[in-house]
Amino acid sequence: MNKEIAKRASLNSDSVIAIMLLAACGILFWATFDIRVPDYGQLKPSTWPRVIICALALLSAIYLVQSLRRTTAEPLEGEPELSSLSFGLVGWFSYWRNPIICFVAFFAYLLTLPVLGSLIGGVLFVFLLMGALGSWTLRNQFVHGVLALVTVGGMWTIFTYGLGVILPTGEIFSPF
Amino acid sequence: MIIENILAAFAEIATIKTIMLMLVGVAGGLIAGAIPGFTIAMAVVLTLPFTFGMPPSQGLATMVSVLVGGLSGGLMAGILTGIPGTPSSVATTFDGFPMARAGKPGLALGIGVWSSFCGGIISAVLLVTLSPQLARIGLEFNPWDYFMLVIFALTITASLAGSNLIKGLIAGAIGLLVRTVGEDEAVGMARLDFGSDALLSGFDFIAVLIGLFAFSQLLRDVRDPVAARKSLTERKAVQVRIEHRAAIREIAKRWIVVIRSSLIGVFTGILPGAGGSIANILAYDQAKKSSKHPEKFGTGVPDGIIAPESSNNAVEGGALITMMALGIPGDVTAAVMLGALLIHDVVPSPTFIAEEPVLAYSIFIAFFVATFMMLGLQSFMLRVFVLVTKIRMYMLAAIILGFCGIGVFAINNVEFDLWTLLWFGILGFLMRQFGFPLAPMILGVVLGNIAEINLARSMAITTDLTPFVTRPWSLFFLIIAVFSAAYPAFQAQRTNRKWTLLYFPAVCLAVSVPLIMMGGIPRPILGGASILLAIVTIIRRHRQGWQLPMAVGPRYTEGS
Repeated sequence: MNKEIAKRASLNSDSVIAIMLLAACGILFWATFDIRVPDYGQLKPSTWPRVIICALALLSAIYLVQSLRRTTAEPLEGEPELSSLSFGLVGWFSYWRNPIICFVAFFAYLLTLPVLGSLIGGVLFVFLLMGALGSWTLRNQFVHGVLALVTVGGMWTIFTYGLGVILPTGEIFSPF
Repeated sequence: MIIENILAAFAEIATIKTIMLMLVGVAGGLIAGAIPGFTIAMAVVLTLPFTFGMPPSQGLATMVSVLVGGLSGGLMAGILTGIPGTPSSVATTFDGFPMARAGKPGLALGIGVWSSFCGGIISAVLLVTLSPQLARIGLEFNPWDYFMLVIFALTITASLAGSNLIKGLIAGAIGLLVRTVGEDEAVGMARLDFGSDALLSGFDFIAVLIGLFAFSQLLRDVRDPVAARKSLTERKAVQVRIEHRAAIREIAKRWIVVIRSSLIGVFTGILPGAGGSIANILAYDQAKKSSKHPEKFGTGVPDGIIAPESSNNAVEGGALITMMALGIPGDVTAAVMLGALLIHDVVPSPTFIAEEPVLAYSIFIAFFVATFMMLGLQSFMLRVFVLVTKIRMYMLAAIILGFCGIGVFAINNVEFDLWTLLWFGILGFLMRQFGFPLAPMILGVVLGNIAEINLARSMAITTDLTPFVTRPWSLFFLIIAVFSAAYPAFQAQRTNRKWTLLYFPAVCLAVSVPLIMMGGIPRPILGGASILLAIVTIIRRHRQGWQLPMAVGPRYTEGS
């Protein structure tokens, strides 16, 4: 039964991806009409993207047909572990919890970068991410804090003083 | 002239700073290679931001060192814990781990280390000798040939990288499309920027590579919360001394296995898309088939360690041959190396060795020197490896993500690159999750511009499209692209469909046409031999009553 659900889930995900790809091809093809065509040059700037988009659309159509035909066949090797999708939203979240935490943490790091800068932001990012992925026990917090300080501080020092790269200082550090 | 170039390149490499960086690179590569869940490509791609501020020869020498270290690092984890550090050392565990468990971990490691060294040296020699020869052939290429070579590289990568050709081709096409965003190189017009200033300058392809490869891999590594909180390896790594003398004696007795496996490695590396993950299994398979005692494989025989380890170290020499001679990377790591050259404004092409001889020879020398360094550092890094196995994956992932957040910014000092990293990290993660191989996409990103520029050049010469099928080299690449696209179907149906019996003769007959068209003496002879081979194969199969083979070969997927 579980296998059957997984098969259907696999079929659905493949079909959905193929349809999304076809939709993306449509949008991108439409966007190629905004490309200005100069009076010079034999190959128009829009030609190469259009060639690729057409090829991608063709491949996506084949992929869609393949996914629709595969109702009774075994899922292909390397397919996603989708049996968890049948557990509902909570199950889905607990399955993808860690990658989502990483995305959100990195997203927050990027949003706060102009304010915190790469040193403070980086240390906070690594510390908070370790806590979220690991645990918040006192001992772990201490270990995570030391690791975040040493590693991010070390990298920041190498890039700033060793390689002469000007990293974002942030609004907190900029007055100094 | 060659001697002068070698001396000049040697002078570039033999500075204290470069040697120190190479030592750090080899050590870092050895550790990265030893960590299960990390790939060599990931280690090399993460080194890129550090090399940006260095002179090209120094930066490339550092990256080559990481690469060589990474190729050898996988054996430590494979032999001592039974878990391969990288996909390139999967076959090493088949005999390495049983030998270690049988009380000979020092010998197993010694055989692995010295086999890696031999494979590296053999491939370095072939790299130095074959690259200039191949580059000479590359000089014959016109824009039509070059364009078709890129298409061939993408097709064969798609067909070898995953289990589904269509998904591989889709990944390759997405890679090509990513590279078209922003101003086009030929006439400077804005494309697919949707009115955004940030998109006008396009995606920085190093940020794309790090996002696709490193970021997405880390997310995958921490997906399982329980596994992410565990130490990198559950099994305890025992502290051992490498038995160098005994290992050298064992390898000397089996020098044929070393040479054969190294050659398999080099030629697998030359083939675009086929990396160490394929070579180590192929070499192991060949060693088993040619052994007098194939039944002993898997119980801890030296041949079972020698074959995969010499082949996986030899792969990179092969991949660098095509990259340096033709500008086409043999695998993902070579694609990253090509990226490193591009950020230093060096464009690999058939004229690369002639125009940048000092840089080219410094890569050759770095490959040699790094191989010797790897040998010297293995014993020391073994102790570090024992410490590394105690680290938990989530800690490592958080630290490396933190590094990505700093390193990617350092490339162009542009914040948009960090957003590129995030979006492509998510894209790479989703692609991996849904079974899309990343290697074709990465090659698409790296080769997209080369394909378009050559298409533009060919159109500037003539708008006629027939040269794509009438020029011998272009036709040659087109034919092998078509046959490589059909290869997954051939592989899947070779035991149950009769048409597969005609696949090989058809390849021979088809490639003979452009070979004969090329003119001269050797190539038409080669074409004639190819026709003869096709005829002989057809006759033999006819006499056998068109019987299908029973044996099923190993299945290969992405992951070098």
